[in-house]
Amino acid sequence: MSIRSSFAAAAGKSSYWLLHNFFHGGSSLPGKITVALDPNILRAFGKDYDVVIVTGTNGKTLTTALSVKVLKEGFDNVVTNPTGSNMEQGIVTTFITAKKSKNGKTIAVLEVDEANVIKVTKHITPIAFVFTNLFRDQMDRYGELYTTYQKILDGVANAPKATIIANGDAMIFNSQTLPNPIIYYGFNHLPAGDIKAPANTDSVLCPKCNHILHYGFITYGNLGDYFCPNCGFKRPELTNQVTRLTELTPTSSSFEIDGKPYSIQIGGTYNIYNALAAYTLGRFLDISTDQIKNAFENDSHVFGRQEVIQVGDKQVTLILVKNPVGLNQVIDMILSDKDAFSFVGLLNANYADGIDTSWIWDGNFEKLKKHDIPQFITGGERYKDITFRLKVAGVDNLIIEPELKDVVQRITELPTKKVYVLATYTAVLQLRKQLADQKLIKEGMDA
Amino acid sequence: MAKYVLNLAHLYGDLLNTYGDVGNILALQYYAKQMDTEIQTTVISTENDFHADDFDLAFFGGGQDYEQVIVSKDIQNKKAEIQKFIEADKPMLAICGGYQLLGHYYLSAQGKKIPGIGVLNHYTLNQNNNRFIGDITIKSEDTGEVYHGFENHNGMTFLGDGEKPLGTVVSGNGNNDQDNSEGAIYKQTYCSYFHGPVLTRNGLLAKRMILKALHNKYPDVDFTTQEQYEVQPTF
Repeated sequence: MSIRSSFAAAAGKSSYWLLHNFFHGGSSLPGKITVALDPNILRAFGKDYDVVIVTGTNGKTLTTALSVKVLKEGFDNVVTNPTGSNMEQGIVTTFITAKKSKNGKTIAVLEVDEANVIKVTKHITPIAFVFTNLFRDQMDRYGELYTTYQKILDGVANAPKATIIANGDAMIFNSQTLPNPIIYYGFNHLPAGDIKAPANTDSVLCPKCNHILHYGFITYGNLGDYFCPNCGFKRPELTNQVTRLTELTPTSSSFEIDGKPYSIQIGGTYNIYNALAAYTLGRFLDISTDQIKNAFENDSHVFGRQEVIQVGDKQVTLILVKNPVGLNQVIDMILSDKDAFSFVGLLNANYADGIDTSWIWDGNFEKLKKHDIPQFITGGERYKDITFRLKVAGVDNLIIEPELKDVVQRITELPTKKVYVLATYTAVLQLRKQLADQKLIKEGMDA
Repeated sequence: MAKYVLNLAHLYGDLLNTYGDVGNILALQYYAKQMDTEIQTTVISTENDFHADDFDLAFFGGGQDYEQVIVSKDIQNKKAEIQKFIEADKPMLAICGGYQLLGHYYLSAQGKKIPGIGVLNHYTLNQNNNRFIGDITIKSEDTGEVYHGFENHNGMTFLGDGEKPLGTVVSGNGNNDQDNSEGAIYKQTYCSYFHGPVLTRNGLLAKRMILKALHNKYPDVDFTTQEQYEVQPTF
C-alpha cells in the first residue's frame, strides 16, 4: 500500500470510529473521505483479498450474508460489507475497517449494486461473480432490464477470467455469450410440463428468435425451467439444484439441494434461491456439503430484509418491499402463515424508495383476499396510492393512518397477535425511528 | 353477477407491461363493478389475431425498447382491425409505447426509426441522453378536469391532424419540450405518457371510457344510474 493509500485509509478509519461510536451509523462517509484522499484506494485493497462480487436486483443482502457464513466454515477470515452498503463508498469503508489476515489472502464477499460493479472491477479483479436475478426494479433510476444487465456485464468485462455463478432459472443470464466460465444453479423440484408465464410478467422473449418462452415449471416471476418452443433455446445445465421443497413457513424453509436436506430460519422461496446461490459459491470454493449444512443451520440469525419486533403484545414482522416481484414473494410468504394476522402497508416515494409508485399495481394484492385478514392499515407519505391499490384488490376493512407515529399506536390496537408490516425503504427507516422514539427498539439498522 | 359485460382486448399484454400499466385494467374493472358491469380481458399478442368486433374496450401499454421493436413488426398485421376498432368509436387507452405505436413512427433512444401503424397522426422523436421523469399534472381544455400522473419517457411526441391533447401541462413536461401538450385524444382513443397508472389516479377518465363502451354495446339501455355514479378522488 502506498503512503497516500495508507494515509487515506487511516483517515477513513478514524472517521468510521467517530461515526460508529458517537453517531450510531456511518457506513458510507468514511469511504467518501478515503476515496477523496486517494481515488485508487480500492486497487490497493484488492491486492490483499480474493474478492467475490454478489449482484442482482433482489437477494443481494441475504445471499451475501449466507455466503459469508458458508465461507467462514472453510476460511479463517471473511470480510464483507454490512447491511446494504453496496455502493462504491460503502465498499471502501468495508476494507478500511476490516481486520487483516496474518497469513495469506483474505476472502471478501461484497454485495455490489448493479451499476457499481464496474466501479469496483476497474480497480479489483474478483475471482467470482454471483448473479442473483434481474427483475424490473426502480426504473426511474436504472431504466430497462437489458440496460441493467449490460451495466453489470460492462463491469464483468474487466474480469474475463472470473467465474460467474448465475441463477440458471433467469433467462437473461443465458442471453449473451461471455468469455467467463459460468456455473448455473436453479430449481429442479417439479416435473416439467408446458406452461406460459402470466401476462404481466416481464422479459419472456427468447433471446435467440424472439418467440415467447414457455416453461416446464415456474418458481416465481419469470424464473423457472424455460424453453423456446420455436428454436429449442433452453435453460442451461444446472451444476447445483434444489431438488425438493420440504416445508415452507413464514419463518423457516426446509428443502433439498442435490438430494441432501437443509433448512434456514427464514421464509420465502426467494430466500431458498439465496441459500442455493451461497451453496453454489461454497461448493465452488471447496466448502463441503456438511460444512454448508452447518453454516445454514447453526446460529440461525440472518437479518435479510425482514425483522421481528415486539410492540406491546404484538409480534410485528417488518419487511422491506421495493419492487413487484419481491412484493409478490413476500405476499406468498406471509400467506403461508397458519396463524391469524393483520396487514400494514406503508408507502413512500422518496429517491431510495423509487419516486414512481406505479409498481404497486404489479403487486398481486388480490391474493390477500383469499386469506381472512381481519384488519388492514395503510400509511406513509403516499398512503392514498396504497389505499386505493388495496381497495381495488377488494379490501374494505381498512384503517387509513398517514402519520407513522399514529400507525404505531394503531398497531397496538390490532385484533391479532401477529402483524405483518410491508414498507418501502424510507418508510422502514421512519417507522423504526418512531419505534425507537417510543423506546420499543434501539435505533440504527443493525440493532 | 353483474348485469352488463364488456370485453377488453389487452394488446400485447405479455410483452408490453412495464410501470404497473396493468393497473389501468384493474381500475377499469373496479369502476365498472360499481356500475354493475363486468370487464372480461383477453391478451392479444404476437400469436393471436385481433378482431375489432370481438371487443368493446382496448388497452395498449408500454414496454421495454426491445419488446416494442418486436411489437412494431407484429402490429402491422393488425393495423386494419385496430383502425376499424378506433373508427367505430370504441374506447381505447394507449400508454407510452402503445401511444407511440399508434402513430406514424418513433425514434428509439439510440435514434433508430421504429414504425408505428399510423392510425393516429402523431410521430415521436427522441431526446439526446435525457428522459422526462417526474410527477406531472395536466388540465383538460374540454372538461376542465385536472389529471395527475408520473412521466418517464425519452420520446417527444408531436400531434397531427385530427388529434387534440389529453390536456395542457400544468407542471411537468408532457408530450415534448415545445407545445405544452400532454397525450392525445382521437375519437374515443385516449393516449398518454402517464404512469401512476393514469386510470387509478384519474377515475373520471375510466368512468367515461366505461360509459361510452356501455352505450356502444347496449344502445337501447338507460344508463342514468351509471352516469350518476360519483368517482371519489384517489390522489
